[in-house]
Amino acid sequence: MPFHRSLLTSSLAIVAVVIASDAAAEDVSLRFAAEVNGEAFTCGQQYSPVGTTASTVTPGDYRFFISAVALIDAAGNAVPLQLTQDGMWQHENLALLDFENGTGPCINGNAALNDSIKGSVPEGDYTGVEFTLGVPFALNHTDVVQAPSPLSLSAMFWNWQGGHRFLKVDMSTSGRPITEEDLKRAAAPMAMRMAMPSAGAMPGGMPRNAMPAEGGEEEAAGFVVHLGSTGCAAESRTSAPTAACANPNLVTVRFDNFDLATDVVVADIGKVLSQANVDVNTPDTAPGCMSGLRDPECAEVLRAFGFAVGDMAPQPQQFFHAR
Amino acid sequence: MTRPLQRLLPALLLAAQSLWPLAASAAEPSVQGGYDWGLPAWVPPPRVPPDNPMSAAKVELGRHLFHDTRLSLDNSMACSTCHVQEKGFADGQATSPGINGLRGARSAMALVNVAYLPSLTWANPLMNSLETQALVPIFGSHPVEMGMEGQEDVLLQRLRDDARYPALFKEAFPEVEGAISLSTLTKAIASFERSLLAFQAPYYRFKYEGERTAMSEAALRGEALFFGEKYECYHCHGGLSFTDNVVHARLPFEELGFHNTGLYNVDGLGAYPMANPGLREVTDDPKDEGKFRTPTLLNIARTAPYMHDGSIATLEQVLTEHYARQGRAVHDGQPPNPNRSAFIVGFEFTAEEIADLLAFLDSLTDEEFLSNPAHGNPFAP
Repeated sequence: MPFHRSLLTSSLAIVAVVIASDAAAEDVSLRFAAEVNGEAFTCGQQYSPVGTTASTVTPGDYRFFISAVALIDAAGNAVPLQLTQDGMWQHENLALLDFENGTGPCINGNAALNDSIKGSVPEGDYTGVEFTLGVPFALNHTDVVQAPSPLSLSAMFWNWQGGHRFLKVDMSTSGRPITEEDLKRAAAPMAMRMAMPSAGAMPGGMPRNAMPAEGGEEEAAGFVVHLGSTGCAAESRTSAPTAACANPNLVTVRFDNFDLATDVVVADIGKVLSQANVDVNTPDTAPGCMSGLRDPECAEVLRAFGFAVGDMAPQPQQFFHAR
Repeated sequence: MTRPLQRLLPALLLAAQSLWPLAASAAEPSVQGGYDWGLPAWVPPPRVPPDNPMSAAKVELGRHLFHDTRLSLDNSMACSTCHVQEKGFADGQATSPGINGLRGARSAMALVNVAYLPSLTWANPLMNSLETQALVPIFGSHPVEMGMEGQEDVLLQRLRDDARYPALFKEAFPEVEGAISLSTLTKAIASFERSLLAFQAPYYRFKYEGERTAMSEAALRGEALFFGEKYECYHCHGGLSFTDNVVHARLPFEELGFHNTGLYNVDGLGAYPMANPGLREVTDDPKDEGKFRTPTLLNIARTAPYMHDGSIATLEQVLTEHYARQGRAVHDGQPPNPNRSAFIVGFEFTAEEIADLLAFLDSLTDEEFLSNPAHGNPFAP
């Protein structure tokens, strides 16, 4: 009888799962690195050239969420990594990777660092790894005040409606400076004009983009890359959405040949920005890219994460590579 | 700050972090170690230094000390002289005079939910304990506030000679047999300050306790503006107490937020007035010029005047003459501060939007907190 047969089959499946979970588990860790065009990220360091204008950038934050980590076995099956519930970096199947140490331009961050995801899998022969950049919907729209760590970290939170920032990289750039040197370069002519109204051309070869715009209306400083879900319909910005977001913007990554013992997942924001101009910002849009589909600065950024933007086809994701 | 000290800063912060247990259980009771925080269920309890656990007796002793003018050299000033309960524990003045009549450079800060702050005062990331901070107004000489520099024996003798204090100290600090010392004094004041918790403002009741009528229509429109990308308020004024400086039982990270809002630009290069350079005064880093810690917005409608130097009289002016203009420097005829936060982009506004935002800010006032006798002056007639 088909009914009994299927019941029997599912009972066997349950037994199989129980046996599998009883099998010896091994503790593993998946290591990450954060870079800018191949150079390791450090708070306060300058990186050049970045983007289409060969800008010099100084990042002041570099954090991202990774979820749904699985190891790929020889048969091609994805075996979920059970994350250690440490009350700090990891919650359920979500982990926060944190490369800023709260110093210099990262002053609004914190001292603690985390460059690996820790968990266990059944012992086995694994040849690859799979993971998602971002926070799954079920965890994403919890209230930062009530959520467990690392979801309680407000620096990574937009609001209930939009959920969390999956990736937060804040930068000072040549054209949108917030470092001291760039600050002086950008502002000196204005100050000189105030001191000497008739002063003409200034020596020093100031970058064109650093010039204050006509009428003295200078733009806000900085270029940020904040990836997160958009188009999340909710009663208000401080209410959680009830249905999936129009643009979840979760990035799933798979490396078929990856050895946990020797290989590292490298995140490189420089590669994401290779087709972007980080020295400009369209007026009345977020500084840089906060995942807005209509923000011109987001077009090349979102494409580099693997998303189609309007008529523009996506690229394969550029953020992560294995090493 | 010297270079070596600056390099040491991350290590110090890390060390401070490791003093607290990192892992937090899923649900923390409002009652901890016999002390009832009196928190609604949705609020995570604060983290408390392990060497100064809360107790009702310490809070009661601290309440006496906080309101006692004998903590100043000439018996004229108490902590509560500049931190007045009905004014949100601020004092309604731009800056406040010390016992010598001279005013300090920065505005007395409102005290509310300070138990959740990883860093205190306007711009000092090294000032991370209420116990240490309490020493500053009592003993500080630059500026002189309560004027007790070098007079701790006088201060402690006054308390030992008092009819009430020996018994209050005994009850609060039985482990040291009620010793009256700077250590027990500052621990008691810090405990009282940690008890100054306000989670009954209309917005909280609406948001977390389902009281749909707590907010007016205007306040709800203001909420949407506040959390929107045109006004950008919530990026810094977000989270538990409407500030991006926060630490609590469910948050093992200390989150700090120091920002330049473009209030000044005295030389066109981003400079702030000499008296108040902001975070730079501590870090000696030019990039920190003009950065100040984000203050809470709780009870903000009652804590005028505004900004670190009290230089803006009303909340409406804060919105229309400061944030709308990419910082008040522009309103004052200067270029926008080039070192200001990326979120200070300026905005066009309508009178109705400003009225709605003000209605929202009004909904952050906790009337019960402002008149709760548990926080009040025990010496009042």
